[in-house]
Amino acid sequence: MSVTVLVVDDEPDVARYLATALRANGYTAVTADSVEHGLEEVHKAKPDLICLDIMMPRQSGITMYTQLKNDKTLRSIPVIFISGVGHEDPWDFRSFVPDKSIPPPELFLEKPIDAELFIESIEQLIASTRGREGGPNK
Amino acid sequence: MKTDARSAAPRRLMDMVHAALFEEIPFNVAVIDRDYNIAAANSSFTSRFGDWQGKKCYEVYKKLHQPCDECPSAQVFETGKTIVADAVGIDQHGKPTHYVGHVAPLRLTENGPVDYVLEMTRTVTGTRSWQQEYQILFDRVPCYITVIDKDYRIVRANEAFRHSFGDVLNRYCYEVYKRRKSRCPNCPAARTFRDSKVHNSNQVGTDRRGQDIHYQVTTSPLARSGDQVGHVIEISTDVTAVRKLERDVVEVERLAAVGQTVAGLAHSIKNILMGLEGGKYIVSLGLKKGDEEMVNEGWEMLERNFTKTTTLVKDFLSFSKGRLPQLQMVNPATLVNEIVDLYKDITAQSGITLRSEIAEHVRRAPLDPDGIHTCLTNLVSNAIDACQMGEQKGSEVVIRVREKGEKLVFEVADNGCGIDYEIKQKVFTTFFTTKGGEGTGLGLLTTRKIVQEHGGKIVLESEKGQGAHFQMEFPRKRLMTLWHEGHGERPDHKKQVRS
Repeated sequence: MSVTVLVVDDEPDVARYLATALRANGYTAVTADSVEHGLEEVHKAKPDLICLDIMMPRQSGITMYTQLKNDKTLRSIPVIFISGVGHEDPWDFRSFVPDKSIPPPELFLEKPIDAELFIESIEQLIASTRGREGGPNK
Repeated sequence: MKTDARSAAPRRLMDMVHAALFEEIPFNVAVIDRDYNIAAANSSFTSRFGDWQGKKCYEVYKKLHQPCDECPSAQVFETGKTIVADAVGIDQHGKPTHYVGHVAPLRLTENGPVDYVLEMTRTVTGTRSWQQEYQILFDRVPCYITVIDKDYRIVRANEAFRHSFGDVLNRYCYEVYKRRKSRCPNCPAARTFRDSKVHNSNQVGTDRRGQDIHYQVTTSPLARSGDQVGHVIEISTDVTAVRKLERDVVEVERLAAVGQTVAGLAHSIKNILMGLEGGKYIVSLGLKKGDEEMVNEGWEMLERNFTKTTTLVKDFLSFSKGRLPQLQMVNPATLVNEIVDLYKDITAQSGITLRSEIAEHVRRAPLDPDGIHTCLTNLVSNAIDACQMGEQKGSEVVIRVREKGEKLVFEVADNGCGIDYEIKQKVFTTFFTTKGGEGTGLGLLTTRKIVQEHGGKIVLESEKGQGAHFQMEFPRKRLMTLWHEGHGERPDHKKQVRS
């Protein structure tokens, strides 16, 4: 059974790039251009992992992340934040999400992302999730 | 006998009166002969200076062993005329005592030589001490105090003023304060002379070294209520350091904005690099797979992101044309009305109501009209976009202008899709755009930059789905500081544009 990754990004080129890289490496990629569509796809495609942009129209990636973590059935899906705001910048997860009951994301990747490193990160995350929960095989 | 008794009675009465006067008069009275011996003295004198019997006046008054250098009695003996004396002696307890009074000649024979002098002095030690304290206060108080007459000549100036402005007595105040040859327009002292009331004003003068001095001046009438004002007292506080601090704060905020702008630029470039990286990857993958469609897809991605780079550079160059606000005295309502005129057709076509709310008593202000026009254009344009994205019917954009305490406030409110909390965090600090592939995200950043260049701040209140409410607040004090910076005088006298 293939691992399904949902990419949520309002920049069509970014979504296309990540989805292409995922598919080229044997993953099933689903894309969404907004939080609303992203949540629809979470229920429809039941992804094993979500790549989430932060700044999007209407609702941000943080809002979607908070909703996922507040939902018992979705909480365990690992999330990678992908943003142009780097670790070096004053990007502080807790300044966005002060509620400490919500854990920080599994991974944060700073744009631009090299496809090879991106896939490597996905593999490692999937492996650690699988190891922890006996999760899905690629 | 009866006749003698009757004529003797008035003389006795007068003697009694004289004796009583001598004793009871609230002066120190002493009679001095030509050899400076004290021939007589009243009890007031005795209680002040102690035992005087058989002593010389200089021994008693000043505890000296020889006559004083400038002896008022000697002068009266010589001239035969009454004089007013002012001296400091030593009382019977050894304390300095300041006394003033009359020294009058006494003659035993009419038209004869002066045989004695009568010294009637009053102790004024307390009064003099108070006067000295007042003088110290006048001189040392940490502000400038001058008294000017109706010709605008300085008749008194305290030490602080003399220290900063030099020798100023009898010079015209406008000449001293501002090196002018004629009276200043809107002179607060002139207003006080006219209406006998207290007036305040902010001014910029030039000190004796040629340095600018910013000061806040209060003019008060130097007259009792109802009397005509003959003099005006000007009390000025040097606020040069405060003005500098205010300028520094504006500069620090400007530099912070520059730093955030650079960070924002990096953020924006990263997004474009991501697109380029993606295009490169897809072209490379297509070539490897021999998939022409994929190659084309990747190539188009590359082209799109190269175009974005060009757009970004152009926008950024336009944004980076940093300049000081070109301030003019403008009516804020006029600026709002211009924006309504500009957007009324576009909004009407989109079914959006655009209206202005201009509060009463909005005062003119020194603003850069082009800069504020850009800010309002950006905010209204965003508000229209938000209304188009939102799902609410009866969309509305309102532009308001009002006074809020000492601040001039412009507001742009809409009932469109609103802004998420997380986006609010970044809305003014990065180049992010929430319009997908459109826009460079520079609009709000440019708006904030212009507002900060005016010494103001922009705040956003918004809830997702509840519309957004942007407020641009301009503290009038800061606007005036910038105005003074650019003009060196009060705005009232400048050319007025856009009334």
